[in-house]
Amino acid sequence: MAQPSDGRPGGVIHDIGYRPYSGPRLGTRDAGRSLFVTGLLNAYGIGRSGRAKGLPMTLLALMIVPAAIMVAVMVTLGLTDGFLDYGTYPVTLMLVIVIFVAAQAPVLFSRDLRSGAISLYLARPLSATAYALVRWASLFVAILIFIALPVIVLYVGALTAEADFSEHTADFLAAMVGIVLLSAVLATLSGLVASHTRRRGLAVGVTIIALLVSTGVVSAVQAITDVQGNETMGLVVGLFSPFSLVDGVQVGLLDGQSSFQVSPDGAGWGLIYLLASLAVIAGGLWLLVRYYRKQAGR
Amino acid sequence: MNPTIARLALQSLFGQKRWWVLVALPLLLMGLCLLVQLLTSGDAAATSFEAVIVVFGLGLVLPLVSLLVTTGVLGPEIDDGSIVYLLSKPISRYVVALSKLVVAVVVTVVLGAGSLFISGLILDPSAPGQALAVGVGSAVAGTAYCAAFVMLSAINRHGMISGLIYVLVFEGLLASWLSGLRYVSVSAFGRRIAEGLDDSLNLIAGNLPLAYAWIASLVVIVAGGYVAGRRLARFQLGGDE
Repeated sequence: MAQPSDGRPGGVIHDIGYRPYSGPRLGTRDAGRSLFVTGLLNAYGIGRSGRAKGLPMTLLALMIVPAAIMVAVMVTLGLTDGFLDYGTYPVTLMLVIVIFVAAQAPVLFSRDLRSGAISLYLARPLSATAYALVRWASLFVAILIFIALPVIVLYVGALTAEADFSEHTADFLAAMVGIVLLSAVLATLSGLVASHTRRRGLAVGVTIIALLVSTGVVSAVQAITDVQGNETMGLVVGLFSPFSLVDGVQVGLLDGQSSFQVSPDGAGWGLIYLLASLAVIAGGLWLLVRYYRKQAGR
Repeated sequence: MNPTIARLALQSLFGQKRWWVLVALPLLLMGLCLLVQLLTSGDAAATSFEAVIVVFGLGLVLPLVSLLVTTGVLGPEIDDGSIVYLLSKPISRYVVALSKLVVAVVVTVVLGAGSLFISGLILDPSAPGQALAVGVGSAVAGTAYCAAFVMLSAINRHGMISGLIYVLVFEGLLASWLSGLRYVSVSAFGRRIAEGLDDSLNLIAGNLPLAYAWIASLVVIVAGGYVAGRRLARFQLGGDE
C-alpha cells in the first residue's frame, strides 16, 4: 500500500469537522454554581421526566391554595386585622411540607450515591466538602421556596387589601426568620437520612416517620406535662422536634404566636431553642461533609 | 409455605440497617407509655390510655411498622432485580408471595401488636383484659395492613409513598373529618374489634358493625395475598426507569 518510499507523505489528514471547545473555561466556583442551580431545579422536577414533576408541583399547589383561599376570604369579608398569622402557617400544613422534604431529599442525595455517579462528580475539581455543601444548599433553597411562597402570597394579599403595613411587615419578617431556620433544619436532617439510606423508598419512609413521629411525641408529652403543670419538662421535650424547635425560637425571641401547647415565653428559653437548632444544623452538616469525604476516599 | 424463602425474607428484614428502624418505633411507643406513667400518677395514666393507644399506637406505630416490614420483605428484591433468581426456581409464585407475606405478618404482630399489648399493660396494669383486647385488635389490623400495603405496592411502583399517603392522609387526616371513611379504614376495623372484645374500651371507632369489621379485615387479608401472588405470577423484568 502507501509506502512513503520516495519521501512523499503517504497519508492525508481529512478535516471531518471536529471542533474544539471554544467557549469560556469556567472555574470551580462556576461548577459549584451550576451544580446548585441544577439541584434546585431537579428538586422541583424541572429538567427531569414529566412524572418527576408531578409530586413536587402538586404539593406546591397544595401549599399555595389554602393561602390563596385565605386571602380571598379576607378580601371578601374585609377582615384585615388579626385574621392572618404568618408564623403558624407552616405548622398547619406540616404534613405537606414533610412529604415534600422526604420525597425530594433523595432526589438530591440518594441518586448520585446509588448509581455511582458520585465518583464522576468527585473526580472533578469540586471537592467532596463543596459537593456536599452545594447539594445541601440546593435542598435548603428548594424547601425555603416551598414554605415561603404561600406566606409571601398571604403577605402580598394582606398588603393589597390595605391591611396595617407596619404590623403585618413585622409579623411577616418574624415568620420569615422562622421559615429560614425551619428550612435549614429540615434540609439538614432529610439530607442526612437520604445520603445514608440509598434506597429511595426507605429514605422517604424514614424521613417522614422521623419528622412526624417526633412531632407527635412532642405534642402528646407536652399535653400531659401541661395538665400536670410541669412546664420545664414540656419545654425540654419541645427541643426534640424540628417544628416545635423553630416554633419555640419564633415565640421566645421574635414575639410570634405558638402552635404548640407549651412554648417558651421568655428570651432565655428562646435562646436555648435557637442554640439547639443551630447546633442541629452545624452538627448535621459536619456529619454530611464527613460522609461525603469518606465516599471520595473510596 | 416454603421455609427457605421465609428464612431469607426474615434475613432481609433483620440483616440490614433497616432493623433498628423497625425496633425503634415499638420501643418509642413503650417508652412514651412509661413516660406517661411516670409523669402522671396512678389513675391519670389510665385516662390517657385511649389517647396514647388510639392516636399514637394504632394510628401511627402499628401501620408504620407494618409498612416498613411489608415493603422490606417484597420491595428490595424487585428493586435490585435479584427476584429473578428466586422466580426461576420451580416454586409456585403464589407460594413465594405467601411465604413472604406470612413473615411480614408474623413480624408485624410480634413488634406492632406485641408492643401495643405491653403499652396497654404499662398504662393500666389493673386491666390486663383491656390490653389483651387491644393486642388482638391490633394483631388483626396489622395483618390487614400488611395485605393492604402489598396491594398498594402491586398497583404502583412507589409502595412506600402510597402506603404512607394511605396511613397519614387518608386514615389520619381525612377520616377525622369524613366519618364515613371508617368503612374503608383498616385502623377503624382494628379499633372496633378491640372494642368488641372488651366492653370497657372506648377507642373512637364509631358505630361500625362488629361483624363488618371482622369480615372486612378478612376480605382485605385474602385479597392482599391473592394480589401479591398474582403480581409475582405476572412479573416481567422491566428496566429501571
